[in-house]
Amino acid sequence: MSRSKKIVAKPALWRLIFIAFCLFVLFGLLVSRLVVLQVVDQDRGARFLKQQGAMRSVRTAEIPAYRGLVTDRRGEPLAVSTPVVSIWANPQQLKDSVQIARLAMTLGQTPEALSERINLYSDKQFMYLARHQTPDQARAILDLGLPGVRGEREYRRFYPAGEVVSQLVGLTNVDGEGIAGIELAYNEWLRGQTGKKRYLKDLHGDAIRNIGVIEQARSGKALALSIDLRLQYLQHRVLQRAMVETGATAGAAVTLDASTGEILAMTNHPVFNPNSRDGFDYAATRNRVVTDVFEPGSTMKPLTLVAALESGEFTIDSLIDTSPGRIRVGRKVLPDPRNYGEITVSRVIEKSSQVGVTKIAQQLGHESILDVFQRFGLGEPSSIGFPGERSGVLPNRQRWSDIEKVTLAFGYGLTATPLQIAHAYAVFANKGSQVPLTLLKRPESEVALGHQVISKEIAEQVLEVLNRVTGSEGTAQKARVEGFQVGGKTGTVHKVGEAGYLDDQYVALFVGVAPIEDPRFVTAIVVDQPKGDNYGGGAAAAPIYSAITDGVLRLHNALPASEDESPQFVGLGGGA
Amino acid sequence: MTLRVLPASLLITALVSALAVVYSSHVVRGLYSKQQVVEYRQWELQEDYSRLLLEHSTLASPHRVVSIAQEDLAMTSPQLSIYRVVQPQNGRRR
Repeated sequence: MSRSKKIVAKPALWRLIFIAFCLFVLFGLLVSRLVVLQVVDQDRGARFLKQQGAMRSVRTAEIPAYRGLVTDRRGEPLAVSTPVVSIWANPQQLKDSVQIARLAMTLGQTPEALSERINLYSDKQFMYLARHQTPDQARAILDLGLPGVRGEREYRRFYPAGEVVSQLVGLTNVDGEGIAGIELAYNEWLRGQTGKKRYLKDLHGDAIRNIGVIEQARSGKALALSIDLRLQYLQHRVLQRAMVETGATAGAAVTLDASTGEILAMTNHPVFNPNSRDGFDYAATRNRVVTDVFEPGSTMKPLTLVAALESGEFTIDSLIDTSPGRIRVGRKVLPDPRNYGEITVSRVIEKSSQVGVTKIAQQLGHESILDVFQRFGLGEPSSIGFPGERSGVLPNRQRWSDIEKVTLAFGYGLTATPLQIAHAYAVFANKGSQVPLTLLKRPESEVALGHQVISKEIAEQVLEVLNRVTGSEGTAQKARVEGFQVGGKTGTVHKVGEAGYLDDQYVALFVGVAPIEDPRFVTAIVVDQPKGDNYGGGAAAAPIYSAITDGVLRLHNALPASEDESPQFVGLGGGA
Repeated sequence: MTLRVLPASLLITALVSALAVVYSSHVVRGLYSKQQVVEYRQWELQEDYSRLLLEHSTLASPHRVVSIAQEDLAMTSPQLSIYRVVQPQNGRRR
């Protein structure tokens, strides 16, 4: 027994050891391979493999950031971002689906058109089916459960006030970046920071597990403009109606608060609808108040008056002989509508007499007039930083001909935007001091600092003359506002064509200050090419000023102070 | 003594830490799904907010106010003759 046992056991032991050794070696090989793959980083080692794995399953997605709200000075929204869903598809997975017809119906497209588009992108992994769908629409499409069809969250910009503030607020493109107006100028402030998150996807591209957020999305900041939407709407309505009545091709209006430099309203014609991108006219997106320059014409005569008063050679009551109603300068004859005879400097401005202004300009010389224009901010860009803003030019010549010296005093030979003209008049409305312009609401605690351009006394004298322009002898009787005293100046300028000034095309202007007793609001109106006989500043632009200023004063509860129809004053307790 | 206790305590520590890893990843998963729910809620609320904001500004648009005031309510701007200016009691006027 024992012998036979030994015989059986002996060979078994070394075999067992041998087999065990082989298995151990194999196991050791496996383990060392694992160590090579997982721990040791050789050329196709751990890092390479990790990378390859991640490439197949880990994806990074963008988290959209909320773009800041743009509001008017009272908090009314002018531009709002709303959540929308863009539907996209992987054409590789979608192209063989039998449900394309149903998908097309839900999308509101024809099955043929959709199939064609899918075929067009059939070698790609990504195509948009429909961008910016409302969440309800998107849900209807995604609920079909088609392979490879997914939704992506985005924001879309809506403009509740529509065409009323269209050129000012501007636009964003389909990816939410500002491309015009305030949206462009303050893009960095408004846009926020797109976030990033990482997730695991399965074979079909569906997210199966979120790994985490790499970067939080940061919302953009809100922006309150200096615009008052009520006023903006009123100005828009008045301007559009006037454009129809005068048959003008374009128009612009701007209202400032001279004491703070805030722009309260700014409108243009033609307009566009910022909420619909189908076939709009890019020319209509221009904010003409700041981008269009033209010769300001007679609206510059009050600035010439400033130069005259500062020289000490004239007062507003100095007499000037304008007979016989025309004057020769160089080879040109400048006429007045009729012979005004001997009139005061004030009356020269009231009547906008060419002869009178020519005589003043000849006595003053062009340097002092140019100096006043410069001090009033003409020829320099304003501080609002609006995209596409132009600054106009002041003439800078080596030699001045006699006629050039004189026409400068009439506002020819220089160019300016409507905003610059309004800003120049703000000097008269703010006791001779000019406050930098802004499109943003000034905090009430902030005191607007201006710089003194002319003395308070001269500003008051010019205001008095401007008031007389709207009086019974003036050229701007249609600018009057019932119950208030206002002041302003008309301008009628020949348009410039290829061969010099055009005889039958005009730009009508009016710039006004109100109310005269406590001046604060400056409004400039520009009407481009009014048709018919009423082409002048007094006929085409002054009535627009009157209608706008009526609203401005009412909204700001200005105290009526008319001489003829004085309102009744009652005590607080008295009631009425 | 220490030779025996050290491996044992290391083993227990390793075990505890392994369980803690399991637990914390469970907690993370729970919190993450909560965050997802909250984020979705935020999205929904933002959707509502923007919609209400738009609705509000449509209803309160000057366009609509003017047409209702003029057409439905037959309102007009007051004539200057019916203005009443209320002065403060101490009679101080500009």
